[in-house]
Amino acid sequence: MRRRQWLQWGCAHCAMLGGLAQAQSEWTMPPRLPRPELSGEEGGLWAMMDREETRLRRSPFRVRNAELDKYLAGIACQLGADHCPDIRVYTMRAPYFNASMAPNGMLQVWSGMLLRLENEAQLAAIVAHEIGHYVQRHSLEQMRDAKARAAFATAMAAAGVVGLVGMLLAVGGAYAFSRDQERDADRIGVVLMRSNGYDTREAPKVWANLLDEVKANPDSDPALDSVLFATHPTSEERRDALQRQAAQAGGRTGAAEYRATLAPLRFGLLEDEIKRGRPAESKVLLDRLLASEPDSAELLYFRGEALRHRDAAGDKTLALADYDAAVRTGRPPAPTYRSLGSLYQSMNQPDAARDAWQQYLRAAPDAPDAALIQQAIGDIK
Amino acid sequence: MTSRRIALLASAVFMLWFAGCAQMSQVASGEVVVSGRMVVNLDKPWNQFEQVMGDGIPTWTQDGVTVDTLKFYVGLKNGALIAETPSEPKGQAPLAFRSTMQTAEIVTLFERLYSRGGSSFTLEKVVPHRFVDTPGFRFEFSSIRKSDDVRLRGVGWGAVRNGELFAITYTAPRLAFYPAGLPSATSIADSARVRQ
Repeated sequence: MRRRQWLQWGCAHCAMLGGLAQAQSEWTMPPRLPRPELSGEEGGLWAMMDREETRLRRSPFRVRNAELDKYLAGIACQLGADHCPDIRVYTMRAPYFNASMAPNGMLQVWSGMLLRLENEAQLAAIVAHEIGHYVQRHSLEQMRDAKARAAFATAMAAAGVVGLVGMLLAVGGAYAFSRDQERDADRIGVVLMRSNGYDTREAPKVWANLLDEVKANPDSDPALDSVLFATHPTSEERRDALQRQAAQAGGRTGAAEYRATLAPLRFGLLEDEIKRGRPAESKVLLDRLLASEPDSAELLYFRGEALRHRDAAGDKTLALADYDAAVRTGRPPAPTYRSLGSLYQSMNQPDAARDAWQQYLRAAPDAPDAALIQQAIGDIK
Repeated sequence: MTSRRIALLASAVFMLWFAGCAQMSQVASGEVVVSGRMVVNLDKPWNQFEQVMGDGIPTWTQDGVTVDTLKFYVGLKNGALIAETPSEPKGQAPLAFRSTMQTAEIVTLFERLYSRGGSSFTLEKVVPHRFVDTPGFRFEFSSIRKSDDVRLRGVGWGAVRNGELFAITYTAPRLAFYPAGLPSATSIADSARVRQ
């Protein structure tokens, strides 16, 4: 790049950043959205979402925990200000990172996301981002765009194989369109975080952490390998933009409150994480969580599980070290002993396996696999 | 939109078309040989899919594969998959059987299979159980299918014989369908033997 081009590029971006700063200072929350007339297209969209909300409310995947519901509703209310009465938060059991806001104010957060966030400020970054979508009525824009694309796709579909490709391109473009909305919501999210006293430097960490996980897989390409990254700005872009917007910021993180609220649920969330069957990513997540809670028996147990399931060279030894460390805390989850037994058995150490399994049965005599473990002990004897 | 994403969407369209054309045939009651190795006795006829979603696992049903399924894993050798590994997203550990696996590890393979895509899996019970004239195991589980929130119940029988995995699993919605189909599935599992 020549010097002149470089200067032009730099000035263009300075102008953009200047504009961004100005936009941030000038952006104010719009007033509450009135419920649209049912006969209009927005009214139809709301009606559809109302039906979806009824389904969601009854879904067996909904996490029903009064403390968590109250905590999330409180944060949404604080960030949403006047929009508080119109926003309803639902936690859904899904071991992936996602949150979504419907045009009628139904906000879904997925349990896999809650597991990954480190503090209240990071949660606020997500909730504020989703509120940004809501107050800017992005769903309506998206629906209008999708309708235009659907009309094009229908016309293309009549043209055989060439039409099929055109139809796929049209449908794919609908996702690309939403990236601008995501950037807009990110910008609003930072404004809302700041005005509510949160440390905005936590926002880019969310994306940096997620990127680390996805990159744990060999040959990974976040833009292709994650639905979230495929339909959102790349997390590098997002992380960098948020870092620029958050620079110089201070404020509270609320790590202790967040951890305390999530604590009763975390074991189950970690079980779901391991069942997801992506042990390399789980290990990155658990390394990160253990960095701030190095003596957590449940985190040590689950990292051992991730290593045992990844089963790369040296993983058995590392898993053994984690299980042992969990036992040394004096309060290991009972399945730690079961896994220790299995590991010892696979390493041809039957006496150690028997001892570990006996410990497991003492800790969990009514476990669903107690009879099987009893038989395994008998086979050793 | 990348060419890779177009290919994914195109393959999804193909799969839908393929699923619609999948051939089904009836398996009459009496003695039946599955995959040339496992002999079972049927107390009533079942429906069999000729081509099963590309995973090569024989699948039978009474009321349709989205309702109840009886799956046969016949003589899986060391390294064989109990289900294909989806190409996306990356990083998914393959569900590969290893002949050195302990029972708990084999059950974990099925747990992973039924947990795919965010479905839930809860192991209710696993006990020693003789299957195909070999010391093996029987496990019961419950699951909630992510795609439609349907609560399922399931049962599996399995054993490792000469380093090969033989197993049968049965799943159905927990109300009405599961209790209705369980006796027949159990009688099939109890009758299973390996053809010499």
